[in-house]
Amino acid sequence: MKQNQKDRYARHIRLSQIGEKGQQAILDASILVVGVGGLGSPAAMYLAAGGVGKLILNDFDIVETSNLQRQIIHHNHSVGENKVDSGQQTLEMLNPETKVEVIPYQLEGDELKQTIESVDMVLDCSDNYPTRFEVNRYCVETGTILVSGAAIRLEGQIMNYQPATNSACYQCLYSQAYESEESCEVEGVLGPVVGVIGTLQALQALLILAGLGEELVNRLLMFDAQGMHWQGVTLPKNPNCPVCSGH
Amino acid sequence: MNVSIELYASLMKHLPPGKSRFRRDLKVDDGLILNRLIEQFHIKPEEAHLVLINGHYIDAEERDDRKLAAGDVVSIWPPVAGG
Ligand SMILES: [Zn+2]
Repeated sequence: MKQNQKDRYARHIRLSQIGEKGQQAILDASILVVGVGGLGSPAAMYLAAGGVGKLILNDFDIVETSNLQRQIIHHNHSVGENKVDSGQQTLEMLNPETKVEVIPYQLEGDELKQTIESVDMVLDCSDNYPTRFEVNRYCVETGTILVSGAAIRLEGQIMNYQPATNSACYQCLYSQAYESEESCEVEGVLGPVVGVIGTLQALQALLILAGLGEELVNRLLMFDAQGMHWQGVTLPKNPNCPVCSGH
Repeated sequence: MNVSIELYASLMKHLPPGKSRFRRDLKVDDGLILNRLIEQFHIKPEEAHLVLINGHYIDAEERDDRKLAAGDVVSIWPPVAGG
């Protein structure tokens, strides 16, 4: 590790659980962030600040004024830009050492699968079930780690899929029957709620990269912001899961 | 027997008037089936996304057979997909 990296990440390295070895794993990692909105904003910013080697940002949306109350990677002057371009600019200001690539259209099918196969980990920061199901399926098929967060109104959830441990996948938790049209546009969302969940996604990502993912296997967390209630539960792998039962 | 139900986040609207924002203590028939309790609160199966008894995950397929025991705390969370 170069001296400037030792300086920059000194507070990580100082942690006995991370050390130079953990930081090097973070520096060597590549992560696909699906969705550069409320969850993806803090997630991508912490990942870049933390030194993740390469981030691929994927989003087909344009920054709108109504995004700015929570999507803190975007700025007032970003309105009208592609979210991925605006996100890339912010990340480059935060940490020019992190290589940022952008995909400004909806990734799906083979291209999504190939992109997932090319990275070490995926952060699902999207806002709809069809994307979540497809991302999960390709993560299972390609054996790629997935950290999946969701939030709306005053509530949130986070889980992860770690293929090396034969853990439960997203579809063990959500059967394909879910097709809710709920959106933050219709339902509303309090800004820091997505911030909390997106930040936890970055935290789980760094823990897993640094080799500290063991305690997170099959761990599902639910958050009720109004009462500051957290409930953590062990999510068992569904032996009949249509996605992961054969893997 | 006495059991408690906790409805979180957007499910709270199903709670009858009461003191706690999210929890009610109830008297129910001995051996009441979990899904019958959920129905009493007019929660649709797809809304009762995550169901826990005393903090343990109960699979959707188990809910029609699972009998409640005195003192059980049933916690229910809705699905979330936004971001
Ligand atoms: Zn599964």
